[in-house]
Amino acid sequence: MTTKLKEVDVVIVGLGWTGGILAKELTEAGLKVVALERGALRTNENDYSLPNIRDELRYVVRHDLMQNTARDTITVRNNPQQESLPMRRLGSFLPGEVVGGSGVHWSGHTWRWTDMEFKIRSNYEERYGKKSIPDDMTIQDWGISYAELEPYYDKFEYTAAVSGKAGNIGGQIQAGGNPFEAPRARDYPLPPLTPILASEMFTNAARDAGYHPFPRPSANASQPYTNPDGSKFGGCQYCGYCQRFGCEANAKGSPHMTVIPIAMRNPNFELRTHSWVTRVLKDSGGKRVTGVTYTNVLNGEEFEQPATIVLLCAYAINNVHLMLLSGIGTPYDPVAQKGVIGKNYCYQTGAGATLFFEGKHFNPFMNAGGSNATIDDFNSNWAFDRAPHDFLGGYVVAGGFNTPLPIGYRPVPSGTPQWGSDWKRATAKWYQTAMVINASGSVMANRYNCYDLDPTYRNAFGQPLMRMTFDYKDNEHKMGGHAAQTINNIARAMNPTRLNPASARTDPWTVVPYQSTHNTGGTIMGTNPRDSALNKYLQSWDCHNLFVIGANAFPHNSAYNPTGPVGALAYWTADAIKSRYLRNPGPLVQA
Amino acid sequence: MSRAAMVLMMTLITVGAARADGDPVRGATRFQECAACHKLDAGANEVGPSLHGVFTRKAGELADFRFSPAMKRSGIVWTPETLEKYIADPQAMVPANRMPYAGMTSANDRADLIAYLVNATK
Repeated sequence: MTTKLKEVDVVIVGLGWTGGILAKELTEAGLKVVALERGALRTNENDYSLPNIRDELRYVVRHDLMQNTARDTITVRNNPQQESLPMRRLGSFLPGEVVGGSGVHWSGHTWRWTDMEFKIRSNYEERYGKKSIPDDMTIQDWGISYAELEPYYDKFEYTAAVSGKAGNIGGQIQAGGNPFEAPRARDYPLPPLTPILASEMFTNAARDAGYHPFPRPSANASQPYTNPDGSKFGGCQYCGYCQRFGCEANAKGSPHMTVIPIAMRNPNFELRTHSWVTRVLKDSGGKRVTGVTYTNVLNGEEFEQPATIVLLCAYAINNVHLMLLSGIGTPYDPVAQKGVIGKNYCYQTGAGATLFFEGKHFNPFMNAGGSNATIDDFNSNWAFDRAPHDFLGGYVVAGGFNTPLPIGYRPVPSGTPQWGSDWKRATAKWYQTAMVINASGSVMANRYNCYDLDPTYRNAFGQPLMRMTFDYKDNEHKMGGHAAQTINNIARAMNPTRLNPASARTDPWTVVPYQSTHNTGGTIMGTNPRDSALNKYLQSWDCHNLFVIGANAFPHNSAYNPTGPVGALAYWTADAIKSRYLRNPGPLVQA
Repeated sequence: MSRAAMVLMMTLITVGAARADGDPVRGATRFQECAACHKLDAGANEVGPSLHGVFTRKAGELADFRFSPAMKRSGIVWTPETLEKYIADPQAMVPANRMPYAGMTSANDRADLIAYLVNATK
């Protein structure tokens, strides 16, 4: 029995950063907005406060803020020849399930992706020729430019209290910032976080090696801050519980303490928690969507919520899943290379080293989410010639810490036994003396890395699970090798007592250890409906009153964390809806 | 502890003592460090308890805020002096209290803050 509810102007599926931004912007524009969120409402006041928040078992091991895999998960395989199996426990990535979404438990790293990504195919073809891009590498231009997005990056950075140092203001290179970044109109709202010993040592070593280190821009307020909407931030206390936790000091830019409470104070807005959207409904012509169906997971009641505009703002994977479950757009077929929904799933790659310095005290329990220094010399630096190394894309290298957990972070030199008295002695001896250098690398789209619906396994609602087919290809292996070499060169120059060197990963991707919650693609944006699902405003080419907002829209993945462009695109889409779509509902780009 | 360290510590304690001549205007700026969690309106308990009337109550006394057992047990009566001492190093004065704030290290800043709060919390 499905109860049909009264029609509203906008229904938002998922209330994290993108849903929160659109909820605030569209309620302020006078629209009646309902947000449906799977998870519960949790607040800094009641939930993310001391002492309860510092619970590694609850938040890290038991994934208290994350998606519950007993209800819905994905199946995974490395290639189409394999049988896919369900991920029964979260591992490689951690989608949030709570009001605020993954924006509650992120670290705050906020980058501006540039035209190097948005015009990726054009750039590489122009510089290295058409043949430089392998046939199975399905990278494509995004249909948007950095110049268009710049004001929206700015808006997101000022909303989320990003601390950092500009490297390029209006074309003028700024000392101490990232010299390879694209020009920005003004500096970050807040100065960089206080550096820690590990980031200072990395900075010196990277500079000596001729690179250009800078403090990583992060939505960890380096000092008390009131954002343009009036949301108040405390200064970061360097408590060491950032990634996977809500912020106890009100210092991490998160939707549940900025845009969402503003929307909630607006009488035009209604939040329904524990509401699991199962389908987006289309009209008989299939050219418009009419609303969504959802289930209240507390009591099993089913509802239909009609709406004039539907915004999918769930986690990137779940947005794509809903599109496939609802039969919107043509599912992607990697063999025929036809269709678009599920295409260009990408992830990230990386390498890392641990350095041990006898006599140093790094105090790894004291840091912010963004307590590291970074070099961009092998990523946004277009002067870095990829040809001799035979890979496209790039990687950033960082030295410092991000949430080295009091229990889980146990650095010991390689060769130490993994348990027993010797391990105990080693962990006591080396804990204070270790620091890490990590690289995070881009993943280029490949025709065989994609999503579709699993033929076998179903979720608690009887719907097919999402199937993810993914593995790293030659391009990533070569880049990983280069990244490991860079890391080890810097590390050896620092002359550590012991070094666990970085090595390139060549084994197949596995879903088991945590790697990164940066899943991109599946309903990608682009210049035409033949090879993309969304136009540059993240509007569905198939149904003009449907927008799909998030990293699902990225045609490939870069070395940078994705939340900067995710937030900027949310503001960009909100503006397009307010200024153009409401006046003249229809496609914002003619196919 | 070495003699030199003892002397240094005593010097720090002397420097760190409360001052009565704080500047409330500068104190209003210092209060920005507190304002993300503490409001000055009566009953406005958010991440931290409302500071309205703080100098008329005992620590942990507000009925509708979930204080730590440590704070409730502390027996502190809030005065400009006790609050100044607390804000210098909250975990030293009330170990295991749940305020996530490392402390305001400058005695001048604390004096300014207290000078501001004396009137702003009325």
